[in-house]
Amino acid sequence: MSNSFAIEVDAVTREIETGTHLVKILKGISFTIPHGEFVAIMGASGSGKSTLLGLLAGLDAPTSGRILLDGTDITHLAEDDMARVRGSKVGFVFQSYQLIPTLTAEENVLLPHELTGKLGDGMPRARQLLDQVGLLDRATHYPVQLSGGEQQRVALARAFMTHPPILLADEPTGNLDTANGRLVLDLLIRLNREQRTTLVMVTHDQQLAAYADRVITLSDGLLVSDEKKAA
Amino acid sequence: MSQSFTFGTARKIAWREARASSFKFLFVILAVAVGVGALTGVRGFSTSFRRMLNSEARTLMAGDVSARIFVQPDPTQQAVLDGMIAQGTRMTQITETVTMAAKPGNPIPVLVSLKAVDPKNYPFYGEVKFNPPQTVQQALCPNCVVAAQELLLRLGLEVGGTMRIGGQDYRVSAIVEKEPDRMTGSLNVGPRMMMSREALAKTALLAEGSRAAQRFLFKLPIAVGGASDNVAATRALVKKTFPDALVTDYRETHPLITQGLDRATSFLSLVSLVALIIGSLGVAMAMNSHLQAKLDNIAVMKCLGARSGQIIGIYLMQTLALGALGGIIGIAFGVFVQVAFPTLIERYFQLRPEFYFDWTSVLQGLTAGLLSTLLFTLPPLLSIREIKPNSIFRRDMGEPKGTWRSRLRKSRIAIACGIIILGGLGLLAGWLAGTKLEDAIRLGGSFAIGLGVSVAVLAGFAWGLLRVLRRVSSLTKGTLRHGLANLYRPGNQAEAVLVSIGIGVMFTLTIYLIQHSVLTEIAESAPPGMPNVYLIDVTEPMREGLTKLVNSQPGVEKAVELIPSVAARITHIQGVAIATMDLKGFGRRFLQTRSITWNAAQPKGTKILQGKWYTPTETGRVAITQEVADSLKLKPGMMIDWTSAGRAFRTQISAVFRAETVRPGAAQDFILDPETLKGLPVIYFAGVRVKTDKVPQVQAAIYTKYPTISVVNIADVLDIIQEVVDQVAVVIRFISTFAILGGVIILAASVAGTRFRRMREVVILKTFGGTRQKIARIFSVEFLLLGACAGVLGSALATGFTGILLKRFFEGAEFKLQWGALAISIIGSALIANAAGWAASARILNQKPLAILRED
Repeated sequence: MSNSFAIEVDAVTREIETGTHLVKILKGISFTIPHGEFVAIMGASGSGKSTLLGLLAGLDAPTSGRILLDGTDITHLAEDDMARVRGSKVGFVFQSYQLIPTLTAEENVLLPHELTGKLGDGMPRARQLLDQVGLLDRATHYPVQLSGGEQQRVALARAFMTHPPILLADEPTGNLDTANGRLVLDLLIRLNREQRTTLVMVTHDQQLAAYADRVITLSDGLLVSDEKKAA
Repeated sequence: MSQSFTFGTARKIAWREARASSFKFLFVILAVAVGVGALTGVRGFSTSFRRMLNSEARTLMAGDVSARIFVQPDPTQQAVLDGMIAQGTRMTQITETVTMAAKPGNPIPVLVSLKAVDPKNYPFYGEVKFNPPQTVQQALCPNCVVAAQELLLRLGLEVGGTMRIGGQDYRVSAIVEKEPDRMTGSLNVGPRMMMSREALAKTALLAEGSRAAQRFLFKLPIAVGGASDNVAATRALVKKTFPDALVTDYRETHPLITQGLDRATSFLSLVSLVALIIGSLGVAMAMNSHLQAKLDNIAVMKCLGARSGQIIGIYLMQTLALGALGGIIGIAFGVFVQVAFPTLIERYFQLRPEFYFDWTSVLQGLTAGLLSTLLFTLPPLLSIREIKPNSIFRRDMGEPKGTWRSRLRKSRIAIACGIIILGGLGLLAGWLAGTKLEDAIRLGGSFAIGLGVSVAVLAGFAWGLLRVLRRVSSLTKGTLRHGLANLYRPGNQAEAVLVSIGIGVMFTLTIYLIQHSVLTEIAESAPPGMPNVYLIDVTEPMREGLTKLVNSQPGVEKAVELIPSVAARITHIQGVAIATMDLKGFGRRFLQTRSITWNAAQPKGTKILQGKWYTPTETGRVAITQEVADSLKLKPGMMIDWTSAGRAFRTQISAVFRAETVRPGAAQDFILDPETLKGLPVIYFAGVRVKTDKVPQVQAAIYTKYPTISVVNIADVLDIIQEVVDQVAVVIRFISTFAILGGVIILAASVAGTRFRRMREVVILKTFGGTRQKIARIFSVEFLLLGACAGVLGSALATGFTGILLKRFFEGAEFKLQWGALAISIIGSALIANAAGWAASARILNQKPLAILRED
């Protein structure tokens, strides 16, 4: 690790024009996240937490301010350069799984490896990750043949495929029942520890946030609290 | 809901539903429009053309009644003609033949179509246009000729220059731009030229037995008002006087032209119908994917109490609206087709019919568009009945596959729909193509069966190919695998796209392959050793000198071979007058004077199929071709009675044979023993093998000494045939392009239908590090593969169809695989599919990920 912070957010704002109004979603947010930390971002609906996560993943650009991922300033990167940064540094877990329907479970897991053009056969690792999430026996199944919980476990395996130093998760248990949600969360935390990943998770579930090392709370586009759990 | 559900409610719901899918439906409407456009365009043009034929019938014939014969009238016939003239009928004679024309000083001649008229009496109707403008009598003075611009260019001549024909020199007085009766004329080989009959008489071109056609035009004394009886009486008299003449009058236009127009209209209507069917397939496909996307809505409506019939009503309304909209836009396309048509056939028909908006064609196009759309959307519409209200709760769960019995049971509706669709299309085809009920049933049936077989074979191939690709995809990596996986993407409808584009490719390529094979066949009919130069109209006195002259020319590889030709007419077969026999189609030509020949022994390049060739001592014997035997139902031992130059003679059939090589200029349908034809007027045709580079010199040498002999280089004949075939092919290709266009639009529609899914995938791929270039490669692989596969399927079927058609209609034509054409088809389809795919996926690469992800 060349930089002491995995993520640096400096005075980030995000505004959008709706035609009649200028909506200020983030109003100047700053924080840093050291390597290996598990941070939960909380807040009510519309507080800007998903927008913030999108900015951290480089899926959108801030109106002003700066974001650094593992020391790389991504604020003004071109779209394809940003895609390359994501491929090497960021893993992503979505609330609605976002698996590719035409690919089998193992092919979905292998996808980031193929997209980033990494050398070597990624299949052993893909299968190892599927094994870790308990779905090796469903490796050749298509998403439509899997339940919601299973799909999210495949999505977890996919997120860890390229050993990303940073993992971003957007309400990963939001679409799951309690039992499946619990299972997915346990897996997420276990994999995070095993892979020594920096984990940023957006949630509005207090119970989930309780697992985090630190909880950042947003309200109306502002960072209103940043609490670290006592060691 | 069920009580108050009215037409108005269904219409409102249908409109709301369709509004959200406007982009997807835009392509579908275009696909229908293309088919309807081709159909209305073809039929509209046909109607305009027919109107022109009817309104200008006299002009197109240049007279009221016309009779065409291949011999000069005998004294009895001439007496009848003189009698008609005495009673006030005006008559003029036109002679049409093929000969050689040259520029003095440049002995290399050009084969031309020559028409000789009487300038004082031609034309009776219409006008001949010359450049510079002048009257017919001025232009066709006794020492003048007029020629088409093309001939002057080829000879390097200008107006005012000198042209040599039949050993005589003439001044080129003008360029002939328009002749009223050009379409109804006899010959259309090589560039055209005209002279007066007086000028023609100065040449020795019209030796007895020459193949010149004589056309008599009559103008009746009262040719206006109730002249119909008069015309009928004149026609009957002419027919009685010239039993083997082709007699027509202005009331029916030219039978060959109307027949040709009818056949062309039927054929092109069917090709357009194929384009329309492809379009309708697109509607069915779009409706299917539309319904897949609306499963929840339908289930909800059913939960709220809607009956299947009511929901079918909503989507039926959408279907009909799509068909109707496509039809209306199609009419605009049709106008374009109708306007473009005259340009395509300009070289063949000099006439440009005035644009006429034909409501019947428009209604036919619209009806055909609506009906075929409806037929094809039956299966998806009826599938609405299968959607269970509770599917909203368990949509993600796959249905168990079931046994083949249960699957067959479930497919009953689909099979019934298939039969209804084919039956309906057969009726449509019969309606559009058949002029008589009998023809309509035959054509409709053949069309439905042909289409059913083609689509079944294509669909089977497509299914197999996609299965193979699916298997192969697991062995591939990266971009290629993702591209391959996209082909069996849920809702991708790759099979339907493959079938649609495949049909278009199949159609266009089949036409090309047949055209090419037939031309190659003709070219290869002169294989090494066989004649490649033919000499026409050699008279008895020239025979010896010509043989010596040709055989002494450098480059002549094989001595000249002379084939005699005698003009004779069959009077009786087995004692039955041929005029009383019921002859159809090809057989009717035997009512007219034919060219027959003699040979002491069996000629080379013939194969005996029945009987034995006559021996040198036998007389009164004839050998006939299989074609003649089939047409007249003849076999060895049967008797044929003939008449020639006033002499009657009888022959017995000794053999039925097949000619293995084509010999233009010398009909060898009937070969008699030499003794039987002795003393009759004879003309010889000769074939000689000359080294290709020496042909012009041999041509020049013959022309210098024997200017009345037409020298036909096989390469020139090929050029002429190619020109005609190209002309026909260009029209067919123009219409079949609409079928390909329909397929391409369907591909675009299919891609547009999966647009939202594609956008999501682009975003996921981007999120996991995919660059735009990489994603573009994935999509390109998909589109290119789809197009290439359709090209492969279409090419494979085209190859098969061409083989079958050549075997069936062009007996003996050998089919050789055209690898170049196949490769171009495959590459072309791939590139077109790629372009269409990207046109429908434009801008999805630039979607901002977050905006899409937040929609989930």
